[in-house]
Amino acid sequence: MAVAAPGQLNLDESPSWGSRSVDCFEKLEQIGEGTYGQVYMAREIKTGEIVALKKIRMDNEREGFPITAIREIKILKKLHHENVIQLKEIVTSPGPEKDEQGRPDGNKYKGSIYMVFEYMDHDLTGLADRPGMRFTVPQIKCYMRQLLTGLHYCHVNQVLHRDIKGSNLLIDNEGNLKLADFGLARSFSNDYNGNLTNRVITLWYRPPELLLGTTKYGPAVDMWSVGCIFAELLHGKPILPGKNEPEQLNKIFDLCGSPDEVNWPGVSKIPWYNNFKPSRPMKRRLREVFKHFDRHALELLERMLTLDPTQRISAKDAFDAEYFWNDPLPCDPKSLPKYESSHEFQTKKKRQQQRQHEETAKRQKLQHPQQHQRLPPIQQTGQAHPQLRPGPNQPMHPSQPPVVAGPSHHYGKPRGPSGGPNRYPQGGNPGAGYNPNRGGPGGGYSGGPYPPQGRGPPYGGSGMPGAGPRGGSAGYGVGNSNFPQQGPYGGGASGSGRGSNMMGGNRNQQYGWPQ
Amino acid sequence: MLNGGGDEESEATTPRVVTVLSQVLERRVNRNDRLLESDSVVTGKGLNVFQGARAPSISVSKYLERIYRYTNCSPSCFVVGFVYIDQLLHRHPDSLLFSLNVHRLLVTSIMVASKVLDDEHYNNAFYARVGGVTNSELNKLELELLCLLDFGVTVTSRVFDSYCLHLEKELLCNGSGHRIEKLPSSPSLGETEIPDSDSLKGL
Repeated sequence: MAVAAPGQLNLDESPSWGSRSVDCFEKLEQIGEGTYGQVYMAREIKTGEIVALKKIRMDNEREGFPITAIREIKILKKLHHENVIQLKEIVTSPGPEKDEQGRPDGNKYKGSIYMVFEYMDHDLTGLADRPGMRFTVPQIKCYMRQLLTGLHYCHVNQVLHRDIKGSNLLIDNEGNLKLADFGLARSFSNDYNGNLTNRVITLWYRPPELLLGTTKYGPAVDMWSVGCIFAELLHGKPILPGKNEPEQLNKIFDLCGSPDEVNWPGVSKIPWYNNFKPSRPMKRRLREVFKHFDRHALELLERMLTLDPTQRISAKDAFDAEYFWNDPLPCDPKSLPKYESSHEFQTKKKRQQQRQHEETAKRQKLQHPQQHQRLPPIQQTGQAHPQLRPGPNQPMHPSQPPVVAGPSHHYGKPRGPSGGPNRYPQGGNPGAGYNPNRGGPGGGYSGGPYPPQGRGPPYGGSGMPGAGPRGGSAGYGVGNSNFPQQGPYGGGASGSGRGSNMMGGNRNQQYGWPQ
Repeated sequence: MLNGGGDEESEATTPRVVTVLSQVLERRVNRNDRLLESDSVVTGKGLNVFQGARAPSISVSKYLERIYRYTNCSPSCFVVGFVYIDQLLHRHPDSLLFSLNVHRLLVTSIMVASKVLDDEHYNNAFYARVGGVTNSELNKLELELLCLLDFGVTVTSRVFDSYCLHLEKELLCNGSGHRIEKLPSSPSLGETEIPDSDSLKGL
């Protein structure tokens, strides 16, 4: 709190955090839900600015203020970068105890606390999981480069993210990608002597050193996750979908070979190495498995998915990799298509209705092919240009009527000057709405950092056709990061339908959806 | 129940930083208590929520020792907790640290410091039992502290070091010539915000 100089009033100063009430915002719609709290899209009444409000649930009396929230606030307060989500403010809502306590200055006991974030339209998983979605190579390079830039910034500032995964990478309609959900992040010292917990990072993106139980680690843990995401983008589906820790390690060894003192000096001293080392050595098959990737991509991936964390490529070096400097070059974020917002929150009731819709659709054979698997990128060279590019999945679904251009979003008021009738030059996302259950009940932050047993099987038994393995997305981190037992669809109750697109009748009619 | 062993015993088991902090705080609390008694000063309302009706019978040093013994938080938490308290006092210059609020301020700030710094830490319910307050009161105090700190809970290594130095100095002035042993470097103390190095002036 800056103090006004003598004789001056400090009227312009932004209010101190925690001093404003959530009533300064008008909640527009819920866009996420988890055991940790809810996320709302909201509009600041004074400025009209659209923001995301993440409610910090305070109902666990024994825990008090959630440690993940403290950590996240602490870290986001010091990070300011265009590829890191901006925490704008903390606001509170008065709690019920206020009156009983009869305090003279009523707001002393706070009922709930909200984190105010800049609003982002999508997250990477939600976007990639859209039926028929195909990223172009320049697009993938563009996202990857932003991811690496943001992560490099974190690492330079001695912050480990520790939960890099697609649903924590938020994307706005300007094509900007931002790292989000710093609930598991922490600072690190360069000597790596910290005794850090190895129970972090969502299983599929967790590096071998953590699975082997190390408690001394550094930024390389995040780079493994980046490698997994990179490969996933190119491959069209998650590359290491383990159901539990042992299986996860096996999948890693199967792809990257088994670790030994030659390829990873010191590995035998890691706590659980002897429990997990495979009975016979396994060969590294990465190049073989991903031989369809282009040479530079494969080269970079090799260096990201290196078993030995000390030899793994850093964010900075990855940024300088040949891959980003060879044709097709990464595109300008602004040239990327503007997809329709993809996190409409669904209540259970709504989902129920959708299932019925879907059943009806099936019967009427209107249903589009369900895709458990995303499509590999369009191999095209040259600069991506939205005006010249067909809609992302038109080649796949030629029968789809193009979406009428224009703001079909409920809250079509985009931030910034980019508004206007051409907000969706791509014809929106033709896939949207076809597969309402994608993302399904899961949503969110499926798995959290300890997804082990509950996580898999990713496509098992949900009865939710097309549900993505990571569910929708709740990049603001609604999921409860602290509880190990989360189902594959993320925290049971967390129906963050960010991935789903069941909106009002309008859009459905556009698609000929049976009403 | 809160009375543990003698001073010598505690010296042996408690990290030096805890002992030093105890002495520094006790001196300040005693001074401020005298000021308040003499009616020459009235404390402001800013930190009222931390104020108890009566002074707890346990001394500050025994209280800190107890917190250390039961919660096993890292010694750095005591320094960072002290930084928080100091920053609160800076934000409320009319408020004083005295015997009615020092205990609640300590247990709350050390608990928050532990949440910020330590990967392994006890929950509020446990801290409440150790600190002799109810769970719900501690939760309220925690939220209060966070809001009063403007959620700026990061302490840079520079600030951390300067506070350590300050604690040492204050002890030297008091005639006790021991230095605080080198604190284990906490991985959480990277260079970050709260670059409020001027905070030392008011001590």
